[in-house]
Amino acid sequence: MALQFGLIALDIAASWVRMILALGLSIVFALAVGIWAARNKRAESVLLPLLDIFQSIPILGFFPFVIFAIYGPPNSLLHNFIGANLAVIVLIFTSMSWNIAFGVYESVKAIPQDYADLMGVSHASGWQRLRTLYIPASMSRIAYNTQISWAVGLFFLVASEIISSGSANIPIPYGIGVAVTQYTPSTDPGDYALLIASIIVTVVVWRFLFLREFALWSEKYKMMEEPREVHRDPVMRFYSWVNQRSVSKLFLLAHGRGVTRFTSSIARFRKGLRYAVLIFLAFFLILIAATLAYSGTLRISSIPSAATLGAGEVSAIIALAVSFVRVWYVVAICIAIGLPMGIVISLNFRLYDTASPILEVISSIPAPILLPAIVLIPVIGRNPEVVAGIVIFLSVFWYIVFNVMAGVRTLPADMKDLPHVYKVGRASAWRNVYIPSSFTALVTGAITAVGGAWNALIIAEYFQPDPKAAPVTQVSVGIGKMITQATNAGNNLTIFLAVSSMTVLIVTFNLTVWRRLYHRVTQRYAYNR
Amino acid sequence: MSQVSGKLAAGSPVVTVDHVSLDYYKEKEPLPVLSDVSMTACKDELVAVTGPSGCGKSTLLRIIGGLIKPTSGEVKVLDSAVTAPRDDISMVFQNFVLLPWRSALENVLFGLDSRKDLSDAQKKAKAESALEIAGLSGFESVYPGELSGGMKQRVGVARALATDPEVMLLDEPFSSLDDLTAERLRKETYTLLISPQTSVQTVILVSHNVEEIIELADKAIVLSARPAHVVGELRIDLPRPRNKKSDEFFQWVDKVYSLLS
Repeated sequence: MALQFGLIALDIAASWVRMILALGLSIVFALAVGIWAARNKRAESVLLPLLDIFQSIPILGFFPFVIFAIYGPPNSLLHNFIGANLAVIVLIFTSMSWNIAFGVYESVKAIPQDYADLMGVSHASGWQRLRTLYIPASMSRIAYNTQISWAVGLFFLVASEIISSGSANIPIPYGIGVAVTQYTPSTDPGDYALLIASIIVTVVVWRFLFLREFALWSEKYKMMEEPREVHRDPVMRFYSWVNQRSVSKLFLLAHGRGVTRFTSSIARFRKGLRYAVLIFLAFFLILIAATLAYSGTLRISSIPSAATLGAGEVSAIIALAVSFVRVWYVVAICIAIGLPMGIVISLNFRLYDTASPILEVISSIPAPILLPAIVLIPVIGRNPEVVAGIVIFLSVFWYIVFNVMAGVRTLPADMKDLPHVYKVGRASAWRNVYIPSSFTALVTGAITAVGGAWNALIIAEYFQPDPKAAPVTQVSVGIGKMITQATNAGNNLTIFLAVSSMTVLIVTFNLTVWRRLYHRVTQRYAYNR
Repeated sequence: MSQVSGKLAAGSPVVTVDHVSLDYYKEKEPLPVLSDVSMTACKDELVAVTGPSGCGKSTLLRIIGGLIKPTSGEVKVLDSAVTAPRDDISMVFQNFVLLPWRSALENVLFGLDSRKDLSDAQKKAKAESALEIAGLSGFESVYPGELSGGMKQRVGVARALATDPEVMLLDEPFSSLDDLTAERLRKETYTLLISPQTSVQTVILVSHNVEEIIELADKAIVLSARPAHVVGELRIDLPRPRNKKSDEFFQWVDKVYSLLS
């Protein structure tokens, strides 16, 4: 027991070191990119859409490329312990950094012109401006966004550790994701329970000892007009995070109106979008080139013919279609449960105060660590389709329920009184007031949930803790399964086809369907215009 | 028209607020909001309630409307105690509170949603006539997002009128409108409510705008800061129409201000 406990502590410590390094890297990146975008109009027009594309693609699918690019083939410089860890850290970084960067950008953008004039009058150097104005002004948003980035990062940490130690078979000796692949709840339930309990306790303690303290400390850097109370309410924190993501999405979605604060930026954003897409494509091509080069050095004969390319693409599209349905039916279930649940909780103050901290703790448990236990549930655990559904559900349900809760909570009190004043029945109050007034919050929550679901697929569709043994659970067809299996087999061509098809689908879907839907909903259902 | 109208003699009380107190509980510590408030609103009267901001005047209005239960005391409308929202009490809100996803007509229909005694056609006819008396004929199918502030509040008034209330509660109804619009709507609303054309017997107006009160009210109830109690009850017997530039008008304004400070 003591030995197990020591090992688990080591796993948690290793994971936390990776998380902290990724967070540090994210903050440095966010400051550089956020300040640059806020101070330079040309940078702004390209960087913002670029950040937006990066935060909307399922970054976990790119993990094999990250492994190839950093860890590399056997004879390369980083093909060792350092490279393996670096790959994991970079992946966590990609899940954390975008939203902190948007936070920095918005903070620096919001600095009143007077302050900039003051800097001009006092002949402050670039470094002085950075140290005395831009960084302090961004501090509270960095701390605030870190609270959510940490929860999101944990999911990516666990997922990437599972993929590394499992399918990809690269040397990641310790970590909570690694531990999850080692402790099978069927053979040693005690150890597994101890692991899960330790992770939950660590997550909660860390929240209060570090993330909360960081947020409270950062309040002294707040500019006057920002509200002070928000930090203490986990639901509102989630809400502002999700909506901030969709502030950036609004650039894509807005048809010239909407967020007044950013109206002038929208036109610039549109102009820059083209360049951003080009840069993104260039980045993508470099990835392929690098991957093919590695394949070339490994297996000359593996340069693909047109026939294999075509066959690969066809199977990628089929897998994508199946996963698309999977993502959507789970999100539909999340909405069916989360919408009424969020409304009921938020209409009752006492219930809200009790439920939100409980939901916050549950939501901060990275769903993949529960997968080995889910598989053991009688009957449904043996159905891989149900297991995948549950893992995706646990990963994204929170985006829906928290957003609906916050949406109802921010409704004016008079609006909540309205059904009582006119004594309309409960059914009518729900149909005419509560449900429609949650629609905008629901759609922004759903955009984020669908994005999260594509990431969750990579773990949910195919879980193989031991690369030499059969997978614990696998669906029959799916893009996540395709990517994980190809990573396992070192089949770069298949990874490339699968990931690029998925990326194209998601970016296109965002630019067309989500954009229209969001526009319609904000036109009709946004309250208080 | 309502069944009770006409039976009441002018000046007989419609709303009676009888020693009402309200405490909020913050971490189990009682926080007094209203302390022993009593007032009446009689037939064909417009009673204005005013007081320093945050004193609880809107809370008092919500107690009268049955939305909040007082800690002690009682509110009676036409001799029966108000324990929950009732069909004979209606309310107009400061921020209109229209459903943005329903047209003007549908918003008024929402107020009639609970009326089981009316057919859909009757409801529609009622809603249309309410919109018409509120000065909105032709705007039935327009959505709130396309209406100006003044027109939004007209929908709010129409919605409240459509239910044929005896008691009309107005919660700062003109304070989120611009001056010119507010001026016009104030006059029209008064004429509309205190007329035999509608079922309304009495109007209670919550406002922090002293000139508005002197212009409209027959009686002004002045509340103190928290916990609010009645510091003055003034019968404003200026003849109507009231001239806002007259000396008497200013004397009344001063009287209310001196009670407020």
